[in-house]
Amino acid sequence: MLGAAFITSYCTIKPWEVSIDGAVGYVDNGEFTTADFLKNIYKSYNVDYPKFHKMDNLCKLGLLNAELLIRNSEVTQKYKPEEIAIVLTNSASSLDVDQKYQATIQEKDNFFPSPAVFVYTLPNILIGEIAIKYKITGENAFFIAEQFDPHFMNSYISNLLNTNKARCCIAGWVEFYNNSFNSFLYAVEQQPGKLTLEHTTEILGQIF
Amino acid sequence: MPDHVYVTGMGIISAIGNSVEETFHSLYTGKTGIGKIKYLDTVHKNDFVAGEIKRSNEELIALAGIGDYNRTALCGYIAAREALYNAGIVDINEARTGLVTSTTVGGICHAENVYKDFFEGISNENFTDSYLSGVSANIMASHLGITEFVTTISTACSSAANAIMLGTRLIKNNMLDRVVVGGVDTLSKFTFNGFNTLMILDREWCKPFDENRKGLNLGEGAGFLVLESERLVRQKNKKILARIAGYGNANDAYHQTASSPDGVGALLAMEKALKIEELKPSQISYINAHGTGTANNDSSEGMAMQRLFGAEIPPFSSTKAFTGHTLAAAAAVEAVFSILAIQNSVIFPGLNRHEQMKDVSISPIDQLMINQPLEYVMSNSFGFGGNCSSLIFAKR
Repeated sequence: MLGAAFITSYCTIKPWEVSIDGAVGYVDNGEFTTADFLKNIYKSYNVDYPKFHKMDNLCKLGLLNAELLIRNSEVTQKYKPEEIAIVLTNSASSLDVDQKYQATIQEKDNFFPSPAVFVYTLPNILIGEIAIKYKITGENAFFIAEQFDPHFMNSYISNLLNTNKARCCIAGWVEFYNNSFNSFLYAVEQQPGKLTLEHTTEILGQIF
Repeated sequence: MPDHVYVTGMGIISAIGNSVEETFHSLYTGKTGIGKIKYLDTVHKNDFVAGEIKRSNEELIALAGIGDYNRTALCGYIAAREALYNAGIVDINEARTGLVTSTTVGGICHAENVYKDFFEGISNENFTDSYLSGVSANIMASHLGITEFVTTISTACSSAANAIMLGTRLIKNNMLDRVVVGGVDTLSKFTFNGFNTLMILDREWCKPFDENRKGLNLGEGAGFLVLESERLVRQKNKKILARIAGYGNANDAYHQTASSPDGVGALLAMEKALKIEELKPSQISYINAHGTGTANNDSSEGMAMQRLFGAEIPPFSSTKAFTGHTLAAAAAVEAVFSILAIQNSVIFPGLNRHEQMKDVSISPIDQLMINQPLEYVMSNSFGFGGNCSSLIFAKR
C-alpha cells in the first residue's frame, strides 16, 4: 500500500503574470522587458536577496518562483533541510546563458569570459541556488525533457516519498530561453496543506 | 532482504604503482608518488609538483595492448582489467555484468593537444570522437566485453564514490549480478590551469590536516572494484575482499563551489552511510579522509568528523600526499587503499604534517600502524559544489 500524497501549493510565473494557488497575483501590463518583469516581481513581493541580481535569467525566474511557493506552503518551516527534495525539469537546459557565455569567448579580439557567468552554465545550478537560499539538503535532480511530463514527475516524486527519501518535494518546470519563459513550481507533501489536491498525473496536467 | 554486495576484485594505477601489489608496497613503506612533472606538457612544469602515473602515453598503449586510445581510456582499462583478473573472472557474460565508471577529464587530455591544429586546418583528426566522458567508458566496456549496462558519472571529486554507490544499488535491486565500478582521471592542462586559477594548488608537497596547509597537489589515477551479489559469490564460492556496508551522498546547500565551514554535507553523507546498516559511529575502525590539503576542505571535513564522532574519533588519515588528488578517481583509488588496509590490518599514515590544525582538536595518524584489526573502514570523498559522499567497507 503506497502512501497518499497531495499537491499542497502551486505557483506560476508566465508572461506577464504571477499566480499563486491558481489566484492571479502580480501582473505587469506595461511595456517591460523580461528582465524588468522579473525585477518587478522581486520588488513587488519584497524579496530581499542581493545575490539575485547576479544570477542568470533561468535562476532569477526559478528562485522567484521558489520564493513564492515556499512562502505560501511554509515547507521549510515544516520539514528538516534533509527532508525536502527538489525535482525540476525543462527543455532548454541552461542554453540561454550557455549561448551568452559562448559569445564572450567566440572571438579572439573580443574575448571577455567571466567566471560569474560561467558558473550558471548548467541547469542544476538553479537547484543549487534554491538549496543555498532556503538551506535545503535533500535529494535533488534536474531532468531535461521536450515538455512537462506529468506522468514522469508524478511517478518519480511518489517514489521519493514512498521510499522515505523525502517527506516533501518542491517540483516543477522552469524554462527560460531567448526571453521566452514559463515557470511552474508545486509542493508535494504526504498530508493535505493549504490545498487538498491529490498528487496524480491528471491533476498535475490540469494545473500546469 | 536484498543481497549483500561483496568486493571480489580490485585494480589500480596511480602515481604510487601500476598494480595493487605495487600500490600496497608504496603505502606500506611511506613512498610518495608526487614529484617533478615529467609527462604533462605544461608551462608550469617547473612551478608545481604532481602525482603522475609513471608511464608515457606510448608506454600505456603498450601496457594496455588494446589500441591507440587516450590516457584516460587506457588507464581506466588497465585498472579495470586488473580488477577482473583479480576477481578470477574469465567469462564476463556468465552473469549480468555492468560497468559504472566516472571521470571529470574524459578525453580533454587528448583534445587539448589537437583541437588548435584542427580548427586551423593543420590536422583533420576528429578529436570529438574521444572527447566526451562516456567515450572512455564505451572503449573500456567494449574491450572488457561488458554489454549489459554501461554508464559514467561526473560529480567532481565524489564521482567514483557515487559510481560505487550506483553499482551497489544496481545489484541490491537485482538489476545486475556483477558491476565493475570505479573511476579514472588523468592530468590535463585544462585541469591544471583550472585549479591553478582557483589558487588552491600547493607548489610543494601537500600537507593534509596541517595548520599551514597551502593547497592540494593534483594527481592522476584509475581504480576499479568488482562488485558481486551475495548469490553469485556463494554460487561460485568466491574469495571476498570486503563488503559494501554503507554509502551516502548529500549536498550542503552552501556555495556553488566551496564546502560549508561547518561541514553540513560531509556530516550528512557520513550519517547516511552509517544508517544503511544502522552502524554506530563507534563501530568505524578507520577513516580514509578526503583530506585534500586545501584550507577549506580539511577544516570543513575535520569539523564534520568532530561533530559526528566527538572524542571517540577513530584513527583517520588522508592518503592524498601519496597520490595527489586524483579527482573523479579519488574515491576509487581510496576504496582500494581502504580494502588494502582491511586485508592487511594496517592503517596508512598521512605525510608531511608538522603542525596541529587550530580550528579542530582531532589529529590524523602520521605513522604506519600495524596489527590493527579493521572491521569497518569509512572513506570520504567530497566534490566542489558540496557534492559529498561517504562509503563504508566491511571486513566480512
